Amino acid sequence: MAEVRERWTSRYYFLFAAIGSAIGLGNVWRFPYLTYKYGGGAFLIPWIIGLIIMGIPWMMMEFGMGRYFQRSAPGIFEGIGKKWEWLGWWPVFAAFLIVAYYTVVMAWALRYAVSAASVAWGMGEAGAEGAGSYFFGTVLNLSSGPGVLGTPVLPILGFLALIWVALFFIMYKGAGVIGKVAVWTVSIPWALLVILMIRGVTLPGAIDGLNYYLTPNLAALANPEVWFGAFSQIAFTLSLGMAGMFAYGSFIAKKADVTNNAFITSFSNCATSFFAGFAVFSTVGFIMQSLSIPVGEVSGAGLGLAFVTYPVAISMMPAANALIGVLFFLCLFFLGIDSAFFLAYGGVISPVMDKFGLSRVKATAIICVIAFLIGIIFTTNGGLYWLDIVDRTVSFYALLITGALACIVVGWVFGAGKLREHVNKTSDIKVGAWFDWLLKVVVPAGLLFVVIYGGFMTDIPAPYGGYPTWAASMIWVILAVTLGLSFWLQAVKTKGPPKEVSGK
Amino acid sequence: MTTGAIVATVVMWLVFIGALWFSFSQMGKGGKWED
Repeated sequence: MAEVRERWTSRYYFLFAAIGSAIGLGNVWRFPYLTYKYGGGAFLIPWIIGLIIMGIPWMMMEFGMGRYFQRSAPGIFEGIGKKWEWLGWWPVFAAFLIVAYYTVVMAWALRYAVSAASVAWGMGEAGAEGAGSYFFGTVLNLSSGPGVLGTPVLPILGFLALIWVALFFIMYKGAGVIGKVAVWTVSIPWALLVILMIRGVTLPGAIDGLNYYLTPNLAALANPEVWFGAFSQIAFTLSLGMAGMFAYGSFIAKKADVTNNAFITSFSNCATSFFAGFAVFSTVGFIMQSLSIPVGEVSGAGLGLAFVTYPVAISMMPAANALIGVLFFLCLFFLGIDSAFFLAYGGVISPVMDKFGLSRVKATAIICVIAFLIGIIFTTNGGLYWLDIVDRTVSFYALLITGALACIVVGWVFGAGKLREHVNKTSDIKVGAWFDWLLKVVVPAGLLFVVIYGGFMTDIPAPYGGYPTWAASMIWVILAVTLGLSFWLQAVKTKGPPKEVSGK
Repeated sequence: MTTGAIVATVVMWLVFIGALWFSFSQMGKGGKWED
């Protein structure tokens, strides 16, 4: 019997799954802050340039190579040459660790969705003052440092278990169900963002916040830091370099489009970021006016924006505080869940199935259990510190380094021209020879610029994040161990993929 | 809003809408979705 690779059952299901994987928490909590920080509207110029010359070619490469080899990341690099298989496994480990802590952040969002129903951190100025201590004290019960791990925080642990059960049931039937679920997990947060944006721009002070978000400072374009910010945002926002897009590409039919899907996925993701900025910065303007504080004391990126700043705004809102709070944290949860099953299924489960010949149910169950167990570390009292350190390791260093190496190997060893001819045969939009040079030179150079300028130049002279040297050094230890494991997996002989996933 | 912020908003939405309109107008001009 001929073996058949699993397939997306419709193009729209694939697009929703790919867009959902790209859109995540970073669209809400990273992009708007970077735009404000790096020149407002002027930042959008290098950001769009980065999208076109770096993000889209990179995504076309991952989709195209998956489609060409009909395998997930390790199988693709093994197909290029046996000695390259490790380069497919390294981002698999990155995806595995990312999803282990990403689901914990989703658990916080669920915890907050419950708390927001009663605005548990308090109303009015008292709530605004107490939002920080509620997050770090009540919710996380944060310890004094990474050396004090403590015990798991039970409500977070419970939500984490629920999330992994849900992920198992979404993933164990493969791409067919993932595509259908993605329609909802993309549409719901889009609808919630619209509600939050309308609420935001109708608050007093919203216009001031939007002016900080978008008023261009063109002089900022002369600052290399701005270009670093734009290119780094493009590198992180499209969910590339995490192995998953190779697998998602491998589920595309052999005669189906590649390039146009990459365009639609990339632009939809970036449009969502831009839109989310209106919801975030209108609320920032409201906080500035309500508490009479400057923008620098309100705006921030990452966890602080989501779990401290926004709760402050909820406390201060004139009406519907609890409703807006619940909707905001549900929005965060839904933004995260399709990225989570992308990381887990495309990034880890599919490669494991391809390599070890495990059935989908067995592989899914094993990966869900192991990732949950590892995630418990991040639910402990010291979990936030380790989440930050592991995030720096895999979501920054591993993603950028493996992304650059993958583009170099595909561009120079497999052949960028060969890939271009392959995707052009069936794609809606044909790409020219410019694609070859973007893939071979520009994308790797952009990624290496980000990792050197934003990583090595700061983390080598001084420990990352001000952590003790032993804790910050774990970045290099984890990178080395996952690289070693990647070479070990390359050396392991297996029987290959099961019938249900093979494209041979 | 400042003039600069308004211009940035309008230009960016034109870029996104234009790019997505072009992409969707090209759908189906390549290969088939089914094997």
